[in-house]
Amino acid sequence: MKELTKFQKRLKFENKVASGLITLGGYGVIVSVLLIFFFLVLETLPLFWKTSLEKDFEISGKTPISIGMDDYKELVYQVYENGIISYYNIKQKKNIKYDTLSLSAGEKIISSSSTLERDEIAFCTDSGRIINASILFTQEYRGNSRTIGSKLEKYGDFSGNESGKSLENLSFDKNENGNKFWVWTNDKKNVFIKIFDLEEDSNYTHNLTELTGGTKITASAINAETEVLFLSDENGEIFYFDISDYESPELKSHWKVSNNEITAISFLIGGNAMVLGSKKGEVEVWFQIRNENDDLVFTKTHVFENHNSEITKIVPSQRNRTFITIDKLGELHLNYSTTSATNVKFDNEKKGIKLVEFSPTADVIIVADDNSKIGFFNLQNEHPEVTVNSLFGKIWYEGYSKPEFVWQSTGGSDAFEPKMSLIPLIFGTIKGTFYAMIFSIPIAILGAIYVSQFAPKNLAAIIKPVIEIMAALPSVVIGFLAGLFFSPLFEKNLLLILLLSTAAPILFVVIISLWGLIPEDKRRKFSNTWELIFVFIAMVLVFIIFWGISEPLGTYFFDGNIKNWLYTNFNIGYDQRNSLVVGIALGFAVIPIIFTITEDALSNVPKSLTSASLALGASKWQTVQRVVLPAASGGIFAAIILGLGRAIGETMIVLMATGNTPILDLSLFNGFRAMSATIAVEIPEAPVGGSLYRVLFLTALLLLIFTFIVNSLATYIGDKLRKKYARY
Amino acid sequence: MKKIITFWKKGDSYILLTAGGLLFSLAMVIFMISIILIKGFASFYANDVAEIKMKDNSIYLAEILETEEVVLQSESGKTYNQKQINIKIANRDIFDQDFKWINSNEISKIEYPQNVTVFERWEYGNLIAYVKNLNYNGKVYQTRDKDFWDIFSSAFEKSEENKSEKENLEEELNDVLSPISEIQREISLMEINFPWKTKEIEKLKQQEEILQAEINSQIEQLNQKIEQKVIENSEIYATVQAGDGTEITLPLEKVYRFYRPNDMNFISKSGLYLTRIWEFLVEEPRESNTEGGVFPAIFGTVMMVILMSIAVVPFGVLAALYLNEYAKQGFVTRLIRLAIANLAGVPSIVYGIFGLGFFIYFLGGTIDQLFFSSKLPEPTLGTGGILWASLTLSLLTLPVVVVATEEGILAVPKANKDGALALGATKWQMIRKIVLPNAMPGILTGVILAISRGAGEVAPLMITGVVKLAPTLPFDTTFPFFHLDRKFMHLGFHIYDVGFQSPNVEASLPMVYTTALLLIFIVITLNLSAIFLRNYLRKKFKTSAF
Repeated sequence: MKELTKFQKRLKFENKVASGLITLGGYGVIVSVLLIFFFLVLETLPLFWKTSLEKDFEISGKTPISIGMDDYKELVYQVYENGIISYYNIKQKKNIKYDTLSLSAGEKIISSSSTLERDEIAFCTDSGRIINASILFTQEYRGNSRTIGSKLEKYGDFSGNESGKSLENLSFDKNENGNKFWVWTNDKKNVFIKIFDLEEDSNYTHNLTELTGGTKITASAINAETEVLFLSDENGEIFYFDISDYESPELKSHWKVSNNEITAISFLIGGNAMVLGSKKGEVEVWFQIRNENDDLVFTKTHVFENHNSEITKIVPSQRNRTFITIDKLGELHLNYSTTSATNVKFDNEKKGIKLVEFSPTADVIIVADDNSKIGFFNLQNEHPEVTVNSLFGKIWYEGYSKPEFVWQSTGGSDAFEPKMSLIPLIFGTIKGTFYAMIFSIPIAILGAIYVSQFAPKNLAAIIKPVIEIMAALPSVVIGFLAGLFFSPLFEKNLLLILLLSTAAPILFVVIISLWGLIPEDKRRKFSNTWELIFVFIAMVLVFIIFWGISEPLGTYFFDGNIKNWLYTNFNIGYDQRNSLVVGIALGFAVIPIIFTITEDALSNVPKSLTSASLALGASKWQTVQRVVLPAASGGIFAAIILGLGRAIGETMIVLMATGNTPILDLSLFNGFRAMSATIAVEIPEAPVGGSLYRVLFLTALLLLIFTFIVNSLATYIGDKLRKKYARY
Repeated sequence: MKKIITFWKKGDSYILLTAGGLLFSLAMVIFMISIILIKGFASFYANDVAEIKMKDNSIYLAEILETEEVVLQSESGKTYNQKQINIKIANRDIFDQDFKWINSNEISKIEYPQNVTVFERWEYGNLIAYVKNLNYNGKVYQTRDKDFWDIFSSAFEKSEENKSEKENLEEELNDVLSPISEIQREISLMEINFPWKTKEIEKLKQQEEILQAEINSQIEQLNQKIEQKVIENSEIYATVQAGDGTEITLPLEKVYRFYRPNDMNFISKSGLYLTRIWEFLVEEPRESNTEGGVFPAIFGTVMMVILMSIAVVPFGVLAALYLNEYAKQGFVTRLIRLAIANLAGVPSIVYGIFGLGFFIYFLGGTIDQLFFSSKLPEPTLGTGGILWASLTLSLLTLPVVVVATEEGILAVPKANKDGALALGATKWQMIRKIVLPNAMPGILTGVILAISRGAGEVAPLMITGVVKLAPTLPFDTTFPFFHLDRKFMHLGFHIYDVGFQSPNVEASLPMVYTTALLLIFIVITLNLSAIFLRNYLRKKFKTSAF
């Protein structure tokens, strides 16, 4: 073989590089599509990961009364029954410090109760004392490292039982004004409440025993923000007190919730939901709901998996609506209130769990068991509020009177619960698309038939660029016209618009029928242009007629205000930016797509078919109806679904021309909130990796999957048609 | 009647019906475009100002905008028609609102007095008033004085001159101060990220003090000069009287432009009209985007589409070449075509969220951690910017380029290609010398259509780097000249933002219409040229076909 010259070598090299690059470019397209798809899936998946609880490490020590941890997960405090507090440093793996609550000799702490934020704890002792204290964490920077320090603050004590006997069922809470509330029972079945008013610096103590009728109180819960108190008794009865009047607590109502004894009560974050645990191991969440008479009533809204024995403790999370229930046999359940889900069931190898606490960031759970071990477990529970059911099903949220589909992703307070049902968004998208399609399909298809079959050749040459420009009009321009020009215009001329969209087509059909009065032979002599001019005149005429009659009609039938009339007679409200406006604006964006593809499909019907039909004596229209349309039906279908795909994904028009309210209402005169607009508006503010962020990615993924189906289907139909016509 | 029935039976009527469908679409397009044309062009026009005397003796100085008949209900429940007039009273700082509806039957007289002056101000919109007198050079000039308006103009020029000198001085001051603010920034960053490095922080603080001492005298001097300009300008002011009789002292430096519309002839009005169009194109926006120009938005849009084209054109052309010249027609090409069809159909917002998640948070975040870790937690590339927005849009416009290029490639006659190969050219030579030059109009069509799409797209941009007001352009004279990490302004987003996010929607409407006008002008021009190119391509190969 001959040696290659330098030039030939270079050519060969260039050729190779080029073909490599070009192949890369070809595959790059597939890679891009797959990348988009898999990236969206990847961002969505963590929503559906199972909650997991994994042991991190374990320390030895006898079971404390109370336990807690700092924000950085470095320091753990444990309060023992003798009042000693030990601080365990996780990095150094040893106790670094001790404090004491200074109990008197032989006095023992028997129980404790803390605020939801865990910033103050009340302890009660067997000699009838109640002691309040805070364990505060401090940060210090020394050199290159941060050390966590701690400070014990004691707020004094008082005696809860003059006879010096032990107390039970202590519960304590503090509100943002610094007012404190304690409730406890003594050995004589008496219930007491003590309220400390910070501003007035005064204490109020009341004996509630008479109000409850002297039954044995088994559990209590106070909410200091809403100033309510709940007591439960051995018969499964709940007593609901309003304690906002510090001088006289009022028993508002009491009712039976269960046939079994209620053994534990707790409020969840926000103070509107209450968790009950019974002797038989039932766990339920009850909501405060306003009924028709504006009274607060309590309703059972969520039921959780049963425990096998009596519920001894309910520990609410300080971050969200997660709570832990423990039973007498030492099993732990991790529940999420809103979704009625028991995410984790855990018995710590049957060691008998005694005490559980969340870390301040709620991603670690501290578990103390019977075997003098304290375990630290990492909790993977990023998105407890999102389940398949919460996305697509009705969920009973706090403050609602029944389960509903709700989209409300952000709110003012920490206690706000994101409500992320995709149903209102999907509904909004479908609603907008539906109105856009019924507006655009007839117009686009009729227009396309005319251009491809009947129009003079030179007219078609003008129309195609016009339609192309229509397709190229930026959606932000269409959206702004719809939102700022057409909405007020439609509102002002609502009757005219309604007439134009209902009666006008009928009148138009009547007028064009008059064309038939011209004898057929004469008609044939006219050119197509005359037909077009006649139709144009007919349209203008129809418009003028309705424009003329709409005002007198409005004054005569609707008192000049059809909006009012609709509202008083049919209870139909009218929003300025509504589905009617969106339907037309979105339809405007969809028309060119349907038009172009339909026109292509119709023009591609082989000439031989139409010629044959005409030769057999069929009229022009008969040919179109019986030959062209059936032959092109696949293409027309493809055109419609491609238009559908565009309407579903369109963002700016729906964003600008609707009120973006996530409501489930089919009315033509309301707005809606579409999936695409929601993504555009909410993703910039969504914290990266948070539930909202991932739910919005899921929304995008749904849009992607839908358009994938639509486009693949259209491509498939297009291919099939091409093959079919190849025969002719 | 019979005739009509046969007319329907034969189906000729349906032809008219289909013609109706077409005409309706056309009417809609024309209607929409003409609204924007009319409203857009009208908003550059300087309307005459009317003095409207009401029956209750109140007076409005205002532009009359539109008349409308509304149906009202009297106390007895009877409805009656009432003509209302929308007037622009301007003077937002006095009247709290720019626009007002008045009942026409309460008007007693409308006049167009010659000496009404419209002041376009830097803040608070327009001021419509009669000029009473002018304070300039320590003298008071009255309106009836000879050459009053010439003096007024020169006073205005003087105040503008002072103002720009003052701005220059302030810039100088900023330059002097910049090393200090640099150190302060460093200190605060240190305090956030490495609060335990007390020694280093202390050192920096000492440096700051030394610097401060060095430049103190310079700062003082500059401040004095600035103060002087401020005082000078505070002595150039006019006293004007608004329609309701309120007298206002108007420092001329607050005025952007003034004119007396009722005293202007057609030529001077046309001059003003053209100036306003020019100003719209080349000036910065004022008054939170509702007035002034859109230059930064034009610049941002252009730079974004250029970056986008740089990314999308090679990719698209390579893909099209692969599909038509390299790949065997079969499973892979079918898959690629399917992918292209799907890329074309994916909603733009999905590209946006992908761009946000992948380009910004994933790629940008990674780059930040690797190369800009000293600046963290302040993101450099891990936040929206023109680079990420362009890349996102290049994915979105990829199918446009591929499809148009394919058309160009397919139109190259096979004989030409075979001829080249027969002469011994390599495949790449053949593509370079025969296919690409001949497919050029097709590629260009694709680029133009992609640009037109990119210029009009908003949804993906608003989450990947477009902002309502960018303090700096993404291109300037400081190294490295192109700042791809910067956020930018965009014409389409400008429309959305001004029309829907500004507090005073009615006053900002002219801005929305003019921006929309500019945008559709760009888009239509681009599309028409694409159509023209495509027709040229088709014709060329029709004649050269064997």
